[in-house]
Amino acid sequence: MRQGFSRATVVTLLTTALVLAPAPWILAWVLRGGQYAFRITTLMLVNATYAVAFNLIFGHTKQLFLCVGALAGSSAYLAVVLERDLGWPALLTTGLGLLFAAGLGGLVSYVSVRRGLGVIFVGIVTLAVSLIFQNLLLGFRRYTNGETGIDTHGLGIGLGDRVVAYYVFVGLLLLALAVYALLMGSPAGMAFRALSGDELAAELAGIDVTRYKVLAAAVGSAVIGLAGALFSDYNGFINPSIYALAQVDIVVLIVLIMGGMRTLLGPVIGAVVFAAIDHVVRPFGQVTVLVYGVFLIVLFVAFREGLVPVLRRAARLPIP
Amino acid sequence: MIPILFDGVVQGLQLALLAVGITMIYGLGGILQLAHGQVAVMAAMVAALLIAAGVNAVLASAAGILAVALFSVAMDWSLLRPAYRYRGEERLLLSLVLTLGLAFLVDGFLTFRYPEIALTLRLRTPSVVVGGITVRTASIAVSVLAAAAFTLLALFLVKTWLGRAVRSLMQNDVGAALCGINADRTRTFIVGLSGLLAGLAGIAQGLFSSVGPEMGSEFTILALIVAVVGGVRSLTGTVTAGLLLGVVNAFASYLVGTYMTLILLLGVALVTILVRPQGLLAYWA
Repeated sequence: MRQGFSRATVVTLLTTALVLAPAPWILAWVLRGGQYAFRITTLMLVNATYAVAFNLIFGHTKQLFLCVGALAGSSAYLAVVLERDLGWPALLTTGLGLLFAAGLGGLVSYVSVRRGLGVIFVGIVTLAVSLIFQNLLLGFRRYTNGETGIDTHGLGIGLGDRVVAYYVFVGLLLLALAVYALLMGSPAGMAFRALSGDELAAELAGIDVTRYKVLAAAVGSAVIGLAGALFSDYNGFINPSIYALAQVDIVVLIVLIMGGMRTLLGPVIGAVVFAAIDHVVRPFGQVTVLVYGVFLIVLFVAFREGLVPVLRRAARLPIP
Repeated sequence: MIPILFDGVVQGLQLALLAVGITMIYGLGGILQLAHGQVAVMAAMVAALLIAAGVNAVLASAAGILAVALFSVAMDWSLLRPAYRYRGEERLLLSLVLTLGLAFLVDGFLTFRYPEIALTLRLRTPSVVVGGITVRTASIAVSVLAAAAFTLLALFLVKTWLGRAVRSLMQNDVGAALCGINADRTRTFIVGLSGLLAGLAGIAQGLFSSVGPEMGSEFTILALIVAVVGGVRSLTGTVTAGLLLGVVNAFASYLVGTYMTLILLLGVALVTILVRPQGLLAYWA
C-alpha cells in the first residue's frame, strides 16, 4: 500500500490552493462587491472544512454524526466564554475548544460502537445530542446570552479582517485535506476502507474496528471544533442558530453527498456548488427553501454518487 | 399526579400516532421518511383552508387526511420508487436525501404561500369531569381517535391477507416475493396508510394548539426519536416508546422549566437507545 501523499493528492492539494487563492478577488470583480464575495467564499471554505471532517466520520466509518453543528458550536462557545470570563489567551481557549470537540466526538463514537448501534441509531443519538446542546445554550442564559448570542468582537485570535480570515480558512481547509489524505494513506486508511466495506469481515481480519471508528470520529471532530471556534471569531458574534441543525448539519450532509462521499475533493466541489446554488437562490426571498428542495432532489437524482465520479469520467483524470 | 399521568398518556398516544408511519415505512422498505412531519402539517393546512372556506370542521379534517394520504401515494410513485432499485445503505441514503428535499419543498411552499394559515379546532365543551379529575374533551377525543387507529391497524395487520403480506415483507422481502406478494404495490399502500396516520396526528394536534406551516420539521424530529426509541421495526415498540416519552414529557414539564424538560426528554430517549439499542421491546416482539 501507499504511504504518505500520492502524486495525485499533491497535485490536487496544490491545484485547490491555486484556485482558492485568487477566488474572492475574481468573484468580487464579477459580482462588483468585495464584501459579499469574501463572505460567500469564506462560508464556502467553512462548509468544505466541515464536510471533509464529516466525510471521514460518515463516508469512511459510516457513523452518521448529526451533531456537526453541536461539535462546532460547543468548541466555539467554550473558547469564547473562557476567554471572555476568565481572560485566558485566545490560542489556548481555541485549543481547548478543539480538544473538547474531539473528546465529545470520540466519546459519542466509542459509546455507539460499544453498544453496536446501526447507522440510523447513531444518527438519532447524535441528533439528540444536537438538540440537547441547543437547549443547554438556551437554558444557560447567564453564560451564553440565550438566543441573543455573544458579541465576539475583540475576542479570538484576530480574524476580524476579511482578507486575513479568508486565507486563514484556506489554510484550515488545506490542513483538513492534508490530514485526511495522510490518514487515508496510513494503515488507518486501509482499516477505514476495510470497515466501510464490511465491518464484521474487517473485525475478523484482525482490524480493531472500535479503535479506528473512534479515531475517525475524534480526528474529524477536532477539525470541526477548530473550524467552529475560528468561525465564531470571524463572524463577530455567535448564537445558537449559527450552529443549528438546519444551518450546519443539513448543509454539510448535502455538500458531502453532492460532491461525492469517500473522495478527497468531493467536499470542496460540493461546497463550491452549494455556494453557487445559494447565491442563485437567495434573491428569491421566501421561496428559497422551496427552490432549494427542488435543487436537492434534481441534483441527487441526476448525480447520485456525487460530482467527483462524474468529473472523473468526464475529464478522464484520476481525481482523488 | 393522576391528571399529569393522563396528560402524558394522551401526549404519548399522539406521539405514537405521528411516529407509527415512520416505523412502517422503514420496516417495510428500509427507507427513512424525513418529510413525515410535513405530511402531518399539510393535513392540518388543508383542513384549515377548507374551514376558512366555510366547510364543516369534521368534513374538512377528513378531507385533509385523505389529501395527504393521496400525496403520500404520489410521493411513493415519484420519489421512493427509484430508491427501491438500490439496496441497504445506498437505498437508505438515497431516500434520506430525497425525502429531505421534499421536506424543504413542502416547508418552503407552505411558509411562502400560506404563512398566516393555521389550524385550530375547538370542541364545543372545553372540559369534563371523569372519575374525579377534570380533563379536556380534546384529550378524550384524541385518546379515542388514537386508540381506535391503533386497534384498527393491529386488526388489519393480524387479520387481513394484506396485513399479513405487509408483515411478511417486513420480515423478509425475498421470501414474501416468492410467496407471490407484490412488494411495490404493498409498499405504496403502506406509504399511503402512513400518510393517513400522519394526517390524523396533524389534525389531532390542532385540537390542542394551532398547527402552522413552520411546525413540520419539529414533528419529523419528534416522530423520528419516538420511532427509533421504539426500535424502528416494531409497531408495539413505537407505541410503548410514544407512551414512555409522553409521560416523561408531562411530568418533566410539571416539575422543571421548558428547556430542562426538552433536555430531560432527549436524555431519556438517548439513554433508552443506548440501553436497548434494538428497541424497547426487542426481546418480546
